[in-house]
Amino acid sequence: MFEFFNEMWSFAFMRRAFVATAVLSVSATPVGAFLVLRRLSLAGEALAHAITPGVVVGFVTAGLSVTALLAGGLIAGIVVASLSTLLARRTILRGDASLASLYLIALAAGIFILSVAGSAVPLGSFLFGSILGIDNASMILLGGVATVTLLAFALMLRPLIVSTCDPAFFESTTRRPWLVEQGFMLLVVLNLLAAFRTLGTLMAVGLMILPATAARYWSNTISRQLGLGFLFALSSCWLGLILSYLLPETPSGPAIVLVAGGLFLLSALLGPLGFETRLRRRVRAGSGTLAHMRPEGKLP
Amino acid sequence: MSVLVRIRNLALGYSESILLRQLSMDIEVGTTLAILGANGSGKTTFIKCLLGLSTSLAGEISWPNGRPREIGYLPQMSEFDHRFPLRVRDLVAMGSWRGFGLRSGLTEDKRKLIAKAMDETGVLSIAEQPLHALSGGQLQRALFARVILQDAPLIVLDEPFAAVDQRTEDHLLEVMEHWRREGRSVVLVVHDLSSVLDHCTQALLLGDGMATHGTVEDVLTHERLVAQGYLSKSQAAWMLRGPAMNPGGSGV
Repeated sequence: MFEFFNEMWSFAFMRRAFVATAVLSVSATPVGAFLVLRRLSLAGEALAHAITPGVVVGFVTAGLSVTALLAGGLIAGIVVASLSTLLARRTILRGDASLASLYLIALAAGIFILSVAGSAVPLGSFLFGSILGIDNASMILLGGVATVTLLAFALMLRPLIVSTCDPAFFESTTRRPWLVEQGFMLLVVLNLLAAFRTLGTLMAVGLMILPATAARYWSNTISRQLGLGFLFALSSCWLGLILSYLLPETPSGPAIVLVAGGLFLLSALLGPLGFETRLRRRVRAGSGTLAHMRPEGKLP
Repeated sequence: MSVLVRIRNLALGYSESILLRQLSMDIEVGTTLAILGANGSGKTTFIKCLLGLSTSLAGEISWPNGRPREIGYLPQMSEFDHRFPLRVRDLVAMGSWRGFGLRSGLTEDKRKLIAKAMDETGVLSIAEQPLHALSGGQLQRALFARVILQDAPLIVLDEPFAAVDQRTEDHLLEVMEHWRREGRSVVLVVHDLSSVLDHCTQALLLGDGMATHGTVEDVLTHERLVAQGYLSKSQAAWMLRGPAMNPGGSGV
């Protein structure tokens, strides 16, 4: 066992991957928790696909440049989000339908461009991530995004909580409610881009959503959900990396997200706010009724 | 009495449909104004316009003595996420979130104010309960406590009694009476003709693009309620015959 870890740790790319995913967990967890709380889990997934053509164009034109990845992804994300808002406001389609239509076009266009133009990044690692893809520039991107995310949360946590819990009330108390909304969506795109190398474009949202939803089964307060969510994210990343090291054909993205998915299912089954408690409550209610029906009327 | 809000030639609606063609009225300091109207008559649009959350098609809303820094607002409960991971105490504390600094937490004074507001609305004993465990009435009491904490000269309530039991409604009406005695102005959307109107000094009836404003007794007559589409003729006839609601002894 010890030899196995020793061997794994001897590879620089594995050490790099462990550090990178730890940093990613710090920044993706709070963003994911608020995506879930703002009922934007699916919109986050759509946005992850929406940035694909921008990222691909960045790769095709500038190779493995982090600046090109950031610029391309941000532009594509903003274009798709704006077009989707325009369609929802000016046409008969609702927001979800317009966003779904656009992200499907964007994802297909991204993969089409990648296949036709070719790139230094193979399609598999583009879609599902690769631990080998984490170079110095990617580490700087991860660290930079985590720093920006934590600073932004320190500045806007209170308004973010109020605007998430009761948007109508929040809008009545501030003159620039859009600042929080737009700032948060920018953080989402930045974190998606940061997660891109490790998890791939198809799995990038997984590390945001699953630890947050799993943590919700155990916590009644936001602070607890954030803390627990981070622990779930970190353990998913590290266990997923070990899994992907053990099975060399497995890309890191699905391995990490599968572990996070396992934690989610366990939480749903065992968490105090999951199935188990509801089931226990129902059984208790049932036995109470039966006891009431007994002649002596005593509770068991 | 001094004028708190001056509304002139206000038109509300959307490009395809006009909800309200023209409204000119003043809301005076200390008034408790009930807004009534059928579904889609523009009640919520009106209060959102008053709060600055949406724009009017035409006309003007002005504040002769300056817009208050804080306006207490209770949105419709149906818009609220009951599963949000907060305790009752945290929800109430939101009422003064703008007063918290970037680094400072709750001061002892603020904690006392929060406890006092929860005590007034009867939720102090469930302060540590998560929101998802609350009944509709308990949640509305907590939201009223949040409004108390806002300490605002104008309070806007959107259908505050729509989903609460009679006991809670009576208790929250007492809270509203207390606001009136303190000289605060209250604007509330009322979803039906009920005893709530006994606690209102003014009424605004919206419907069929028209608006009628005045005292509760003057506005809520059978004729007007029928004319503005709030009641059908048969409903009005039944109310005249039967044990009709009698808001403010107005003869309705």
